[in-house]
Amino acid sequence: MTLSATDLSLTVDGVDHLKSVTATFEPGRLHTVIGRTMAGKTTLLRALAGLQEVDSGSLTRDGADLMRTPVWRRDTAMVYQQFINYPHLSVFGNVAFPLRRQGLSRDEIQRRVSKSLALVGLTGFERRKPSQLSGGQQQRVAVARALARGTGILLLDEPLANLDYKLREQLRDEFKTLFSDQGDTIVVYTTTEPAEAMMLGDVVLVMHEGRILQVGPPQEVFERPATTTVASIINDPPMNIFPGRIEGGQVTVAGFQATHVSAHLAQLPDGAYQFGLRATDVSLASAGVEGAVTFVEISGSETFVHAAVGKTPFVIQIEGIHDVALGDLVKLRLRPERLYAFDEKGSLVRTPSYDLVSVGGR
Amino acid sequence: MRPRLYPVFKYTVIALWACFVAGPFFWAMTTSFKDANAVQGGATYLPWIQYQPTATGWRNIFGGAGGIDVIQPFLNSAIVTIAASAISLVLGSLAAYALSRYRFKIGFIKNSDIVFFFVSQRIMPPVVLVIPFFYLLQWAGLLDTIAGLVIVTVALLLPIAVWVMVDFFNGIPREIDEMAMLDGCGPLQTFVRAILPNSLPGLTVAAMFCAVFGWNDFFFAFRLTFTEVQTLPQAVVALNSSIPPWWTLSAAALFGVAPLVLLAIWVERYLSKGNLSGAVR
Amino acid sequence: MAQLDIVDVGHSYTPGAEEKQWALKPLRLTFEAGKTYALVGPSGCGKTTLLNILSGLVKPSQGQVLFDGVDVTALPTKARNIAQVFQFPVIYHSMTVYENLAFPLQCRRWDKARIDAKVHQVAEALDLDDRLGQPARRLTADDKQLISLGRGLVRDDVAAVLMDEPLTVIDPQLKHSLRRKIREITEQFQPTVIYVTHDQYEAMSVAQEVLVMRDGQAMQQGTPEQLFEAPSSAYVGYFIGSPAMNFLTLDRAHQEFTLGGRTLAVAWDIPGSTSEVQVGIRPEYVKVVTEPGPNTFAARLRGVQDHGPQRVLEIDVAGQPMKAKVPREDGVPAIEEFLVHLPRAKALPYSDGYLVLQS
Repeated sequence: MTLSATDLSLTVDGVDHLKSVTATFEPGRLHTVIGRTMAGKTTLLRALAGLQEVDSGSLTRDGADLMRTPVWRRDTAMVYQQFINYPHLSVFGNVAFPLRRQGLSRDEIQRRVSKSLALVGLTGFERRKPSQLSGGQQQRVAVARALARGTGILLLDEPLANLDYKLREQLRDEFKTLFSDQGDTIVVYTTTEPAEAMMLGDVVLVMHEGRILQVGPPQEVFERPATTTVASIINDPPMNIFPGRIEGGQVTVAGFQATHVSAHLAQLPDGAYQFGLRATDVSLASAGVEGAVTFVEISGSETFVHAAVGKTPFVIQIEGIHDVALGDLVKLRLRPERLYAFDEKGSLVRTPSYDLVSVGGR
Repeated sequence: MRPRLYPVFKYTVIALWACFVAGPFFWAMTTSFKDANAVQGGATYLPWIQYQPTATGWRNIFGGAGGIDVIQPFLNSAIVTIAASAISLVLGSLAAYALSRYRFKIGFIKNSDIVFFFVSQRIMPPVVLVIPFFYLLQWAGLLDTIAGLVIVTVALLLPIAVWVMVDFFNGIPREIDEMAMLDGCGPLQTFVRAILPNSLPGLTVAAMFCAVFGWNDFFFAFRLTFTEVQTLPQAVVALNSSIPPWWTLSAAALFGVAPLVLLAIWVERYLSKGNLSGAVR
Repeated sequence: MAQLDIVDVGHSYTPGAEEKQWALKPLRLTFEAGKTYALVGPSGCGKTTLLNILSGLVKPSQGQVLFDGVDVTALPTKARNIAQVFQFPVIYHSMTVYENLAFPLQCRRWDKARIDAKVHQVAEALDLDDRLGQPARRLTADDKQLISLGRGLVRDDVAAVLMDEPLTVIDPQLKHSLRRKIREITEQFQPTVIYVTHDQYEAMSVAQEVLVMRDGQAMQQGTPEQLFEAPSSAYVGYFIGSPAMNFLTLDRAHQEFTLGGRTLAVAWDIPGSTSEVQVGIRPEYVKVVTEPGPNTFAARLRGVQDHGPQRVLEIDVAGQPMKAKVPREDGVPAIEEFLVHLPRAKALPYSDGYLVLQS
């Protein structure tokens, strides 16, 4: 039951929405498509659903051409970012709608709706109208409708983007269990949030400007981003990318003191590189290079301090919530052993090692 | 303007406007209960005090001596209005849905041009339209028939229905259509099951417009029917002779307006009950 | 810029209702001049009612509102000299950006040169100075909202700027930059700002102080750091921070608190009469360790969430579920049972859902 997209391309007004997108979506797996706004994620989902015509390329399901199958025979369900439900129907009616279209018996519909509403925690809300529900509940209704049908393909387009973070966190946890139990369904889930993509995905596809840049298990994409672009997309805040040189066993970065190359970079030839360093691998220290704080963001339980060293902007992630004032001077320390090295074109050359230390393991 | 004077000014203006609107109604109401003597006796307004009310006018419109019978014209008007409105709403919302959801391009003609084409038919003076209509109906043998009048009225009401509904459908998120299609509905099913139920406010407004325009049409009925079929406005106007029987005319006019007033009250109640508002989002 | 005082203000939309059903239970608050405050809480928590009382849209059932010590409780919105920013940008489409910003000043009959200077100053702060001549209708939604904000800032005589969920209709991806802009300009112009939002990130990124509300009550007011480090209630512990604070029920043996039979060394002392005591500890402070020692407890691994730079371990300690947030480099415990350390200084006492205050 594999769904394959081959060479999908779509250009609108000179802008590439899809550029030779080739990807395979396997049954029983959750594929997260991560990318910034306008990366083409939504277009890809809509093309998979048959809602968007493309300029060229093909879609097949188990080898059979899907391009000529109309939307209503595609065996596909979709959940939208904007909590789309039928406004005139009750919660029950909304979930039952596709089941009635399938011509199921009353008892069967009743059974499936109840089961599906129970899964999303909306038992007891059957008779409410969507407008009487909170945003989070409306999105649960949409998910319940998609699940109740048991379609072969389930598409979710940034389903949590319009919710506030506590709800996002809660639903993300629920989705993890919900979607892990979907049998042979092909699930494709788009998001702009790395944590969501990492946590939910069996496979992560990184999209940028209509192209798929990298595909792989979350761990691999995160630890071995193929390019600087992938590195900044798969990290929140984006990975710090800055130019530097390796020369005679020293790493030099403008504004910072030269340091010894750490072991993982030792084999690299001398020359110019782009270095990448996660926000978690830059720290505020009592001694170090001075930077001026340009912005402080608080996200969940972390504080992101944006500071500029000379003209190079850095983001520093500190655990916990801290009061740092704009304009303050802070001292930055880079952890050389965590540096990623990319070539000047931005392709990955060397990664720091994640020796998977197993705490308590032997 | 000083703040204290403002409310006085505001309410004066409102009162004047209310008089302007309600005045003719009041005039027609008092006149309908007068007889010839009371009408000729100069401007009087208060029954029992200034004149003795009689029901002559009202008796005259229901087949009284020297009057007419408004029942048949009333039924004719009702049939034409209801049939033409219903057809216009069905065809109009289908057309409007297509115009709202699909991109048409015939040479340089695009969706907005087609919508304008519909509306433009209401811009043309009726006099221009009536001649071709006359020949068309004559050719079809439908002059002076209810069916002919229904066809012509549909042509007049359809633009209104299309215009109102295009605007309304544009306000319904496209995602609803897409979702319905993903849920297994073909295009027609999508329209009937997902879009129409959410369009009640729009349909109500369009139906109101159709009913008002259909009911009030005098000109086309006057030109396209003669002896067999007479609509209510025609009947009322036919009462007008060299010495107008004002009391009968007034009664007939009020009788003719009554259905629309009742309709307006009902729709207003319906809307204010919140049955329609908030149906979408 | 004024200091705003809320003195015993409470409000009920249905007269004569019992106090526990009031939309806003009587409370006393001070908003200092020149600071940005966020009111945050789920819908129905009373934050909008409080904002409307400040703006004069709602007259409170009881209590007084003071602007710089002057009682304004009975004054209508117009007489309070406040600027407001709403969910939807309120701008004049027929005017240019410049005219939109100048409008409130023209209404106050400032002279031309003074208006010009002020408009340019604000436009520069908002990064709109290169678009002053453009018609406002051509701007994007977030730029329009910036103008609404700018119109509040041009008048330096306003007592306060009230913002009601100003980023709700902004595209999620644009919110970041707008948040940043709001923070920058409030730091620069230092108005007294009351900012209502339901989004915790937003509240903490935008404001210097956050007031968490729930069911018409003020749960806690403090800097983001205070709310994170010492939530005064289990609710704030849940509401602020991701994942939420862990709460584990403790047993009492003699003078000590125990968890699964092992002693938990704590930095507090609670009278024996207190009912059930829970320890609250942030997932960030729970550490996986190899060697047993003080405050280490056996943990059983139930699941792992990979968030990228960190992983969240879902574990059971003494039969109670909790979460630990660990750096990626630490890896995932290879065995199902291991030890976690709960640092003494970060373990806080809660009883009946509230932090037990130490005298």
